[in-house]
Amino acid sequence: MPIEGRDVLRRAITGQWRHVTAGSLLAAGHQAGEALVPVVIGLVIDEAISSGDAGALARWIAVLALVFAGLSFSYRFGSRAAERASEQAAHELRVELTGRVLDPRGGAEAGRLPGELVSVATQDARRVGAAAVALAAGLAALTGLVVGGVMLLRVSVPLGLLVLLGIPPLLLLAHLLGKPLERRSGAEQERAAHASGVAADLIAGLRVLKGIGAESAAVGRYRRTSRESLTATVRAAGAQAWHDGGMLTLTGVFIAVVALVGGRLATQGDISVGELVTAVGLAQFLLTPLSVLSWANGEFAQGRASAARIASVLASPPAVTGGGDALPRPVAGRIRLSGVRHGALRGLSLHAAPGELLGVVTADPAVATSLLRVLGRDADPESGTAELDGVPLTALDPAEIRHAVVVAEHDADLFEGSLLGNVTAAAVPEAAEPAMAAAAADEVADALPYGADTVLTERGRSLSGGQRQRVALARALAASAPVLVLHDPTTAVDAATEARIAAGIREARDGKTTIMVATSPALLAVTDRVMFLDGGTSVAEGTHAELVHGNETYRATVLA
Amino acid sequence: MSTTDERRPGKRRAGGPDTGEPGQAQGREPEAAHPGTREAEDRELLPVATAAQVRAAVRGLARPHRAAAAGGFAVLVAATAIGLLTAPVLGHVIDLVHQGRPASAITAPVTWLAVIALTQGVLTASGVSLIARLGEGMLATLRERFVERALRLPLERVELAGSGDLTSRVTNDVSLITNTARDAMPALARALLTLALTLVGMAILDWRFLLVALLAVPFQIHTVRWYTRRAVPLYAAQRVAVGEQQQQLLGTVGGASTVRAFRLTGEHVGLVETRSRAAVELALRGIRLMTRFYSRLNLAEFVGLSAVLVMGFLLVRGGDVSIGTASAAALYFHSLFTPINIVLGLADDLQAATAGFARLVGVAGVTGREAEADRVPVAGQALRTDQTPGSDQGPPVVARPAAPEAPAIRVSGVEYSYRPGHPVLRGVDLDIAPGQRVALVGASGAGKTTLAKLIAGIHRPGSGSITVGGTRLPGADGDTSRSGAGGDPEDPELPGTGGSAAGPVVALVTQEVHVFTGPLADDLRLARPEATDEDVRAALEKVGALAWAQALPDGLLTVVGESGHRLTTAQAQQLALARLVLADPPAVVLDEATAEAGSAGARVLEAAAAAAIEGRTALVVAHRLTQAATADRIVVLDSGKVAEVGTHDELVRAGGRYAELWEAWSDTRPA
Repeated sequence: MPIEGRDVLRRAITGQWRHVTAGSLLAAGHQAGEALVPVVIGLVIDEAISSGDAGALARWIAVLALVFAGLSFSYRFGSRAAERASEQAAHELRVELTGRVLDPRGGAEAGRLPGELVSVATQDARRVGAAAVALAAGLAALTGLVVGGVMLLRVSVPLGLLVLLGIPPLLLLAHLLGKPLERRSGAEQERAAHASGVAADLIAGLRVLKGIGAESAAVGRYRRTSRESLTATVRAAGAQAWHDGGMLTLTGVFIAVVALVGGRLATQGDISVGELVTAVGLAQFLLTPLSVLSWANGEFAQGRASAARIASVLASPPAVTGGGDALPRPVAGRIRLSGVRHGALRGLSLHAAPGELLGVVTADPAVATSLLRVLGRDADPESGTAELDGVPLTALDPAEIRHAVVVAEHDADLFEGSLLGNVTAAAVPEAAEPAMAAAAADEVADALPYGADTVLTERGRSLSGGQRQRVALARALAASAPVLVLHDPTTAVDAATEARIAAGIREARDGKTTIMVATSPALLAVTDRVMFLDGGTSVAEGTHAELVHGNETYRATVLA
Repeated sequence: MSTTDERRPGKRRAGGPDTGEPGQAQGREPEAAHPGTREAEDRELLPVATAAQVRAAVRGLARPHRAAAAGGFAVLVAATAIGLLTAPVLGHVIDLVHQGRPASAITAPVTWLAVIALTQGVLTASGVSLIARLGEGMLATLRERFVERALRLPLERVELAGSGDLTSRVTNDVSLITNTARDAMPALARALLTLALTLVGMAILDWRFLLVALLAVPFQIHTVRWYTRRAVPLYAAQRVAVGEQQQQLLGTVGGASTVRAFRLTGEHVGLVETRSRAAVELALRGIRLMTRFYSRLNLAEFVGLSAVLVMGFLLVRGGDVSIGTASAAALYFHSLFTPINIVLGLADDLQAATAGFARLVGVAGVTGREAEADRVPVAGQALRTDQTPGSDQGPPVVARPAAPEAPAIRVSGVEYSYRPGHPVLRGVDLDIAPGQRVALVGASGAGKTTLAKLIAGIHRPGSGSITVGGTRLPGADGDTSRSGAGGDPEDPELPGTGGSAAGPVVALVTQEVHVFTGPLADDLRLARPEATDEDVRAALEKVGALAWAQALPDGLLTVVGESGHRLTTAQAQQLALARLVLADPPAVVLDEATAEAGSAGARVLEAAAAAAIEGRTALVVAHRLTQAATADRIVVLDSGKVAEVGTHDELVRAGGRYAELWEAWSDTRPA
């Protein structure tokens, strides 16, 4: 059953029903308390100040104290409950989304940039959570409206009707006034975000700018963007000011009308002086719950839009379906592809014997990527089969396959944490040292202030490209999987180190199957056998030396 | 008037750090620090301005607009004062009723109420828009100056601080100040005015009303002190936690395929959960603090309101004031709830904005003192314009000389160390003839990148000298003769330090790729703003990128970069080379500019690099020996010293270090 936006929203709120209910009830109590304050002021004027009755004064001040205690208490705990519901719901969505993105069957990233997914897990999750607060606030505002309305009708039916029927058109007018403003402020926010984006972008590229001396051009570009943003902002701020001024006038005139009608009623003796004060106070008060209602409505609309985005991520179809079998143990590590068509692969057949170090050479990066995706079961071939120890990969659970087959992409990410922690992410601690030596990552550690315990920040971007590659390779080797697929593991590594790494890989993978997709002669020289692919299918096979001497295209590809 | 509900949604929108700009979620990746040389613990953050410097900077920004600011403020005062007439007029109505006047007597004061409302609306709107125009203008000036300063910071200084420091100032601090100035300041100004004038109004009704109203003040002062003491560190911790959660999500989601490949799903979901939980807990603590804050303010409201009511009772009984006046006083005080809460609630926003402002002004100070001492166009090189510092406002118009002469580069006896006692370069001598292409080869850690940066002028040699075209680059003796162009850090009116308006003599292109967001052609024009479409196409053609660039959805106008069309690493690096072609420097250092493309892309890039450096004096740090083999000369660096120099054939024949490397590289026999 596909997940839809409203399911996400409903689940977020019902999942927190206790907090949402408590929040709504208490916030309603708070609204009622706020509505009572002007009523009590009116009563003090009527019963105590007009009559000069000190006892009545003391009584009504005590009532006022109770009202304040009640509204203060309900605000405090009502807000907390509602906010807890909101934060909790957002948190749960965030964790659920992360789980979906990282699911072994994949598929959630298709067509989405990482930044987009992160924004769904933070901004959108927060907005859906905020719908819980909006719900509580909206219910409370309704309560305030009802309480205030009843009070007003009790003072005087015509006055009450005047206020209750007068407020909706007033708010409608405000809404109409605000319409063009909304459009302008949207445009303004876009421009402002753009200006701040340009600044951050230029700073992020600071080294590049400095390298070619383009600082002045960059300053000029930022200044232009900033001025454009300023023009939009000033226009929007002016519109906002006139909107606010208009609202001030409208509410002022409204209060004047209430005072006129109320005053006339009072002079005729229909209502008391205190009741007149109450009516004016309530007329002012009632504007608030109504505007809260329209705010809550807006929040809900945003929450719905965010919930739809979350639902589309949660419901994204997995990249590979079917196959839940466990792996026959022990894994020998025989890989066989026959007639595989996927992406750039055009009927590729390939075989790696248990314990073999097989080189795969292709001039087309798309072929390499497609091959890696099939071997890691990130995708299933459209036709043909890929087998591990004679079992088709499509019959196996993807998570199971990755126990036996580790695919190390050349642009694999490192994670925040110590260098050692990265290397042992999927390995026993003892595996770290030999793996780091084999990948020459021990030299990387030596160059860092705390050696292998140094914390890598910014996803390892604090290291140079070559250092990063060596740490990633050490991680792949440390995992000691029965089958390891390496893709261009040393492109950013200098020639001397690369030779050392080639020997290290050979030694570390002794007796285990390794498929190395690369074009570096230093790496290919240590392989048992090389398959040369062209146009998505195998065109030649032999040792590196045989191919270099016997195949002109091969020589051009690896030694160019 | 309602109090808490009116401010609560607003507080929520403006307050929590979780409401961060959507743009920040886009996963900006601050650039790599200097490879492997330093980590967070020995970073030296950029300075923060002192309170006096901040005040001076604010004065400097406001000075040109003093008259307009005074005018806008006066209009706002008038608007507020007129608005406050509402309560006494209502009180008058009440008195009229109380005196049993006929209904028609009400009409006149009620008409006044309408007139007051209209005047107040018009005046408020004009005042606020005047002040907003001013404030926005000042903000724009501030951020432009800051970005200019930031862009002109010496790179060495930025690396010392870690690029994250500068990035967070440019994004977080600028938007914090903008939001505060845009939303908080006008609200605060109006609330303060209302507050002050209402108190005056109460005093006019009867001074004793004012006296009792002030009973609330000690409660309020105490509450605000109590709150800011707790709120500032708590919100700071909350911002950190939200940042960490964001980082974790970016790392985890960005590396999703790696997470799956190594079966780390459970672990990473756990990490996200922990970080998210921590952020949620801190957010809830913030909410608890805020609700306690407003609860305490309720107490102050109650004390003040009952005191005013009791005073009204006493004064009416004593015959000192009318019931209408007492009612007006009570209404006055009740209408103060909202402005008081706005003022007090904004206290911590203001504090945070002031701290952010100090960080921006602090950067301005650095530029003042250390301005542009590094990337200096070499004097005596008659290739760049006679532009004077400060004349580069707006797009610089640079008279580009026809094909500047490629200079000779001479490095003699250069030593350098990042940390005392750990020399990276130990007496390097190197000569590059004009127009020659020299390849620098050696193991990681041999000092290749460091030498490259020294020649490009990013670092200054510890000892020894580097001359480019006969002119010596600034050396260890702190040759800061140009830094005087900076100016007083306390004065935001600093002239823009012109610096190298037309770019350095020795350009540097590294393996770090950055594609600037915007149309592709605009990215390239950063290298030469006045370049024609023809120039741009020619540069792309030269590096073999024209075909794919024209095939983009909107051709050269396609928006690329972070929020646009994503280019591959190889394409991004080709753009970097195309920029180099447009910038057209006489000498260039390429530091593994072809490294991160993967093996297939590397070949395309090597061809592009060869085309881009044609006709220039070039030092190429090469990790692929094929790139070295075609150079005019090869320099082998080993442990900070030059081990061998010669052509490819000479070095292979010599059978030394390079020959060994070449053997390993080209060896076709199985090991």
